[in-house]
Amino acid sequence: MSDRVARFGGVNDRWDREQVLGLAPDAASAKAAGGVAKPAKWDGTGCDDDALWGECRGSGKNPYRACVDLSEPAFRCSCPSRKFPCKHALGLLLLWSDGTVDAGPRPAWAAEWIEERRARADRARERRAGAAAKARDPKTVERREQRVDGGVAELDQWLRDQVTHGLAQAEQASYRLWDDVARRLVDAQAAGLAGQVRALAAVPRKPGWPGRLLEEYALLRLLVRAYRRRDGLPEGLRETVRSRVGFTVQQEDVVREGERVRDLWCVTGSRDIAQDQLTTRRIWLRGRRSGRPALVLSFAVPGRPLDASLVVGTEVDAELAFYPGSQPLRAIVAERYGAAVPAVPDGSPVAGFLEEYAAALERDPWLDRWPAVLSGVRPARPPGERNGTWNLQVVDAEGDALPLLPTDPWRLLAASGGRPVTVAGEWTPRGMRPLALWSEDEGVCIL
Amino acid sequence: MHPVSWSEHVSAALLGTARKPVPALPESQGLPESPGQGEDPAGRLLDQAALLTVRKRAGMRPATAGEPIAPAPQEHAAPVPPAAARRLARILEGERIRVLPEWLDAAADHGYRVPARMLPDLLEKGRGNRDLRPSIARAAGRRGVWLALQNTDWAYLVGSGDDPGGDTAEVWETGTRPQRVAYLVRLRGADPAAAREALAATWSREAAPDRAAYLATFEHGLSPGDEDFLEHALEDRGKDVRQLASDLLARLPGSAYGRRMAARALRCVRPEIRSAPPGGRAETWITVEPPDSYDDELARDGVPFHPSGSFAPSAPGGQPVGARSAWLREILARTPLSTWTELFEAEPAAVVTLRAATSGGPDARAARDLHTGWARAAVRQHDTAWARALLRSGVLADEPDDLAGLLGVLPGEERGVAAADLIRWGESGPDVLRVLRRVPGPWTGPLADAVIATIGAAHERATDLRGRAVIQLCELAEQRLTPDAAPRLVRLTTREGDDAASPALARLIDSLSFRHDMLKELAQ
Repeated sequence: MSDRVARFGGVNDRWDREQVLGLAPDAASAKAAGGVAKPAKWDGTGCDDDALWGECRGSGKNPYRACVDLSEPAFRCSCPSRKFPCKHALGLLLLWSDGTVDAGPRPAWAAEWIEERRARADRARERRAGAAAKARDPKTVERREQRVDGGVAELDQWLRDQVTHGLAQAEQASYRLWDDVARRLVDAQAAGLAGQVRALAAVPRKPGWPGRLLEEYALLRLLVRAYRRRDGLPEGLRETVRSRVGFTVQQEDVVREGERVRDLWCVTGSRDIAQDQLTTRRIWLRGRRSGRPALVLSFAVPGRPLDASLVVGTEVDAELAFYPGSQPLRAIVAERYGAAVPAVPDGSPVAGFLEEYAAALERDPWLDRWPAVLSGVRPARPPGERNGTWNLQVVDAEGDALPLLPTDPWRLLAASGGRPVTVAGEWTPRGMRPLALWSEDEGVCIL
Repeated sequence: MHPVSWSEHVSAALLGTARKPVPALPESQGLPESPGQGEDPAGRLLDQAALLTVRKRAGMRPATAGEPIAPAPQEHAAPVPPAAARRLARILEGERIRVLPEWLDAAADHGYRVPARMLPDLLEKGRGNRDLRPSIARAAGRRGVWLALQNTDWAYLVGSGDDPGGDTAEVWETGTRPQRVAYLVRLRGADPAAAREALAATWSREAAPDRAAYLATFEHGLSPGDEDFLEHALEDRGKDVRQLASDLLARLPGSAYGRRMAARALRCVRPEIRSAPPGGRAETWITVEPPDSYDDELARDGVPFHPSGSFAPSAPGGQPVGARSAWLREILARTPLSTWTELFEAEPAAVVTLRAATSGGPDARAARDLHTGWARAAVRQHDTAWARALLRSGVLADEPDDLAGLLGVLPGEERGVAAADLIRWGESGPDVLRVLRRVPGPWTGPLADAVIATIGAAHERATDLRGRAVIQLCELAEQRLTPDAAPRLVRLTTREGDDAASPALARLIDSLSFRHDMLKELAQ
């Protein structure tokens, strides 16, 4: 389910230790992998541009055969572990990352497995292509549009009902108030709207909830109205509205038709959000030459690895393919032109950043998070903040400040030492969530 | 932004447009004409709120800056090299956490500090584990102290670091207790008399625990000049202060205290020429008669009425010690050892092998009292000749705590040799392990040889490797044995070409190679 299409399995481009351990399904697996990554435990290890294999001596009579297909990456091991990837596959990757696995010909069992896998992947791709073709069938398209129209009309009526009878009741309401609406939207094939409505159940438990709930309802109403007059909207805005309602664009289409931007893309932050049995990884990029922000998403069910190919604090020469929209942001790495190297992103002062955000909102008013890279900012306590509480803000050389969301302040304080640093994070209307920091003397720090 | 207008919208939405009219937007901010406007108040409220929301977000101004956090002082040391930093991250995540103090000390020894970004995780470790704190203080740098000043959970680092608060006499007047102790320690090193006078000037104003802490600094540069001050402190109201003063006096050569103790000891211990069996060769024996009463003078000189170990055995399997024996041991422990070389006119090595008796005849208990008392005296008086003699004679082979104390008196190189001898005599019994626990790493030279030989011998008799004692020895060696020993242990496992290396040995080899890589990274 990874968005990544680019391959990066070349011998000269071996992953480093952090990248390998980033694939571990949990901390215990990462630790166990370190224990298995001993050359003495392995026989017949080898690799080529696409794959890596070896036999690990375990406690049993027969060794475990582990194999990694580097193009996905995909893993297989003959051990009975239910962890995925298991410690043998990870340990093998660690050895390879250390450079202790040499290139060589594939043994028959590894070759056979990789062929099987490739064949299965091809069949799956054909099935997906078949489904996509069906989705493009005019009759299917028409049926879906009708369903979505119905769901949108129902949502509009529901929103107006809430405001007619007053939001005060929301404070005591059970999550069902929103969940029922969300379910009906799922039935109406408007998954985007459903997700937004479901998330609202958490709002009445937060401080200042009436205002926040009204903001969310108002923006939903704006989306509903925009969708209804979609035929009159400019193409980009129409795509933005359609994607927020829940019409997805196929990855293959994005790679084939999406806007391509080649740049030195600096990875400025990464954040994993687990929800409903699905973990989403948001990786924020910033183009060195274009100054453009980009967002690469990957998804995994718990226990499965997320995309670890983009490492915060590095920069990679790559071509991105952007999803369509009035303010393109989400993208896929279509092609990589070299290995990632450590880099500090170019940032802006606070005022410059807020201008950029305002301009982005003009193109997409529903943007509720936007990547910030602020340079030359120091941590400070907001005015009136008491000693002992740790709500922080960052202040630039001009004395302009931005509030930070309340999170654990200690890494930010430790790594900055109270001195000017570059801070990257996610900006939300309520403050910035810092994700990474670059200091002059010690480089990148993941927050 | 018009906050009034927005809050009007919120209160209208809260109550509901069925009960409250939709607030009007000022003319200039009106919405473009929209279908349905007019007939549907709820829709109009939502449309206006959407406009205000987006305007509010897009029109966000920079916030007013508050008080910046005071910057951390410039560091003196450089952060560790990247490979070492990556390994520290692994250790802090829990991988071989027990090597953390060694990592920190090695980093500090090479003039490095912990990278600032890892300080929160490191300081959190020290919060739960006191033993880590001295090593953390060495390697956390000035940024560490700066950070600890802002989080009370990490306050232990403040005042314990390399920043003892300056070197002026003002520190003595105004500093915290750790700062004042550090000041006294330095002054004792340079001018012990000046330090004594500084302490005497404020002595009567200090609280008892503080007096004990300051008096403890007298172990640096202890000299006969301190005697009067210490005699005075024997009558202090604080129990810890009295104990400390008597301990210090007992280490002072030629003191009146030492003479008082020697006089007591000589009443209990005397040479006697005996022939055993009767008619055999005449030899010098030591006749021992423990004191039969306890008096105020003994109390004043710091001998407790119930010395630790009396009534209850000090070691598992040991014999309980009666009160009279315990008093004797305490007296001997405080008696200048020169008393015995003079009394018996012999070297320590000869004295420790003399046989002991009571008035009733040869007596193992009496010998034990003597040897234990002398061992404690050798530790207190840092007397290497006596420590060497007691260790070589083997008289204390089943008193691991005393043996360990004696090892500590020997200079580093000799200590390893002596510990190696203990291993060879005692194989790898539990007592040897207890001694070895007290021998700090890294174990090198003869000690490393002896440990490897013990493990090797156990490996050859494959069953023994599962023995508890060897497993524990391997576990201890994981932290203490020099990493250079790894290749020799690997040879042990491969010599017979079998794969059945014991898990304990495999873990030991793993740990050593981990530490080898770790120290190499830090030596760059």
